[in-house]
Amino acid sequence: MPELVTLTIDDREVQVPKGTGLVETAMGAGIEIPVFCYEPRLGPAVGACRMCLVEIEGMPKLQAGCTMTAQDGLVVRTAATSDKAAQGQNATLEFLLLNHPLDCPVCDKGGECPLQDLTFRYGPGTTRMVFPKRTFDKPIPISPTIALDRERCILCYRCTRFSEGVAEDHQLVPRNRGAQTLITTFEEEPYRAPFSGNVIELCPVGALTSTQYRFEARPWEIQNVPTVCTMCPVGCNVTVTTREGKVKRILSRNHPEVDQGWLCDKGRFAFSHLRAEDRVTQPLRRVRRRGFATISWEEALDETERVLRGAGGRIVTALSGSETIEHAYGLAKLLRTGLGAHSAVLPEETDVAIDAFRLPLSAIRGAELIVVVGDDPVAERAPVVDLWLKLARRGGAEVVTIGAAGSVLTAPGSAAQTCRELAGSGSELGRRLRESERAILIWSSPGGHGGAEIAALAGELGFAGKPGSGAFHLPATPNGRGVADAWAAASDDEGPNPEPIAVLVVSGDEAASDPHVRALAERAETVIAIVMFERVALGWADLVLPGTSYLERDGTAMNLEGRLQRLRRAAIPPVADELSWLSQLAARFGVDVSPYPAPVFEELAGTVYGGLTLGELGERAALAERAQIPAPAPDPDTEPARPSDGHYLNLLPYRPLFAGAAVERVPELQFQRPAAEVELSWDDAQRRGISSGDEVLVRSNGTSATLRARLNRRLLPGVVRIADEHARDLHATVEVTKP
Amino acid sequence: MTDRSHSPRNPIVGTAQGFGVTFKQIFKKPITQQYPEYKRPLYPRWRGRHRLWRHENGLEKCVGCSLCAAACPADCIRVVPAENTPDNRVSAGERYARIYEINMSRCIFCGYCELACPFDAITLGNEFEISEYARDDLIYTKDMLLAEPIKQVPVADPELYDTPIPYYKTHS
Repeated sequence: MPELVTLTIDDREVQVPKGTGLVETAMGAGIEIPVFCYEPRLGPAVGACRMCLVEIEGMPKLQAGCTMTAQDGLVVRTAATSDKAAQGQNATLEFLLLNHPLDCPVCDKGGECPLQDLTFRYGPGTTRMVFPKRTFDKPIPISPTIALDRERCILCYRCTRFSEGVAEDHQLVPRNRGAQTLITTFEEEPYRAPFSGNVIELCPVGALTSTQYRFEARPWEIQNVPTVCTMCPVGCNVTVTTREGKVKRILSRNHPEVDQGWLCDKGRFAFSHLRAEDRVTQPLRRVRRRGFATISWEEALDETERVLRGAGGRIVTALSGSETIEHAYGLAKLLRTGLGAHSAVLPEETDVAIDAFRLPLSAIRGAELIVVVGDDPVAERAPVVDLWLKLARRGGAEVVTIGAAGSVLTAPGSAAQTCRELAGSGSELGRRLRESERAILIWSSPGGHGGAEIAALAGELGFAGKPGSGAFHLPATPNGRGVADAWAAASDDEGPNPEPIAVLVVSGDEAASDPHVRALAERAETVIAIVMFERVALGWADLVLPGTSYLERDGTAMNLEGRLQRLRRAAIPPVADELSWLSQLAARFGVDVSPYPAPVFEELAGTVYGGLTLGELGERAALAERAQIPAPAPDPDTEPARPSDGHYLNLLPYRPLFAGAAVERVPELQFQRPAAEVELSWDDAQRRGISSGDEVLVRSNGTSATLRARLNRRLLPGVVRIADEHARDLHATVEVTKP
Repeated sequence: MTDRSHSPRNPIVGTAQGFGVTFKQIFKKPITQQYPEYKRPLYPRWRGRHRLWRHENGLEKCVGCSLCAAACPADCIRVVPAENTPDNRVSAGERYARIYEINMSRCIFCGYCELACPFDAITLGNEFEISEYARDDLIYTKDMLLAEPIKQVPVADPELYDTPIPYYKTHS
């Protein structure tokens, strides 16, 4: 228990733990100290804006309140009781407004602008500035998603502190001095970083604005819907802004245990895929070869019923893992209990055993030793987890990454082996994990039984008895766990895999883009695809039913921690909601599926989630207690890649964060997608005489690709990394040569 | 305090006084106005149909800031802004109103939009003859609001607008 101190703010006695910031102390007592630059999540206070001036007894001049901490016997007077402080704040605002253009009517921040609000309450009503104001070119697009208006900037350094101290991308910097200081990127390069969009939200004025939201709406014309982003398994809490029924922007909604108020650019900017020009708005049926005709919903349901009845149970379902739990359950109930079709391609599995080592993501911050096992960078699989890791590292925690591009280099695909080594008695790192009270394991590798492996390791290391230690599995799909739960809950029966496949039901664009599902479709007689985008399904599906996005759905989803969170419909979809037509279709097979998510969840929660109600989830869902599940036995060995012989290199394809059918349809995000590059280790590049930026030919057994080389000093020699959209048909071993 | 409505009075006297007022009117000239043949000039401050204005160089004054829509108690204004480009410069600032609509069937002619406008782009004119046969026709678009009103009404000399004697008492 930290030492408590008593101080006086505005004649009111306040007791807080020693070292609490003065702004928080005052806020706890219901007293406001206004701030612009102060933001505890950005690290230590800088006192740049001087808005927080307070009078402190015994100090001759006004002090910046944000830089002070609570001390015993401190007597603080804010603008409410001190004329001197009020005058100081008034003068500060007059200075801040000297060069501010006062173009509030055309500024996107107008109406929700801290500078406006505080000027109304603490500032002067008029200006004495009679000279021309400082001007800059504006607006400058510092990236295709962010516009910068330097005239409006009050130099609070929130954005540069975020770039330097939180996202650690070091791209946004202040240049020049004094009144001519400006925020810029190096060499006018675009600000290309996975978390760049957060600076828009941090900016207390309209200097950094979203290009997508530019002139789209004003704060009094919008509705905000609290929901959850399901573009990746983190499940960041977001607020979706809509105007006239259209989604205009997405803001983060601080859940201190999940995202701490940060949001990646994919979650923030990818919403415009809702209005993609190839959105499926009507059911489509293939007529003759390669041709499609729109059909009515009645015809579509008739056709689906006919196809499903004719299949005789020889149905395979491919699920994306981005469905809501209710949607997946509705589909599962129809297909499993109505048609006896138990065969499914489920999203990447997360073993339930990991629930025995469940922790909130915020526990990463307090950990002292964090081991990330796997070849994929955490930022590509679950971006916000990467920010938690960076926060932990800055706080003094040791972060060890074991993989083909980690701080400890291992052969690609050997994550499971690494787990077994750590569990063994010979490992020094394993011993430290065993001894540590606050250790965290993270699995960040594609495929395999990652959840089971990491849970087995955590069990082996005795994490079950240590409330500060835990394990996370970063799955590839946003709601894979919820979908798997729903699928399992629909029926207990098992069935053989049908051969030949009569009908393949593909749910969602991710499944439809999956090469394995496409391969399965080759063998199926009829393919029913439930997708949002026409181009994903045209050419190979026989019946296309329109899908909806997570922003258009009500329901629940389970994130990687095992936290059930509530999605709310922000925009009315241009098509019928899946659950509504699933309900009608199910009725034709004598299966009872409610068209509304709430009763479906109730039915499901009774069997799977211990009778949890939607009301209990609330706006900021709590994490369930650790489950008592015995750790599973490790699975039979998976084969790691053979070490490279020097000539042939092991290909390590990875799924980039900015990929997928939705991101492809957002023009503003195209610059974030990975370039056609091949990452080479230093040794391999040297041996081949390749330097960074060279065009190289990557060849394997009959296929080849011309890519630009990029040297990665942290990559294991003998391995090349290529984003899977550029790797395409390349095999597991490749040759890299200069053309 | 005396309450006159309950004071005892002779009812015959009271009735005679009342009819006396009516009787006197018989010998006065009627002030009926033959609208629409005759249109009585309005007060200059009469709040009628809105008008959007342009600068002298032809650019629209409206920048699409939606403050009028925020001020509107009847919620009858819809503004959808867009960005000016060098090829398509509509207003002086960075943005302009791509869509500006006023639903005249909802408008209560309170004039708050005029007060809220930071660029004096919208004012309320004097025209009141804006009835239509269809409700849809009462949604005025930006082009309609920027143009001169079709049905003009006579307006009194502004010099007279503070006169203590109502205009119709000395004329007609």
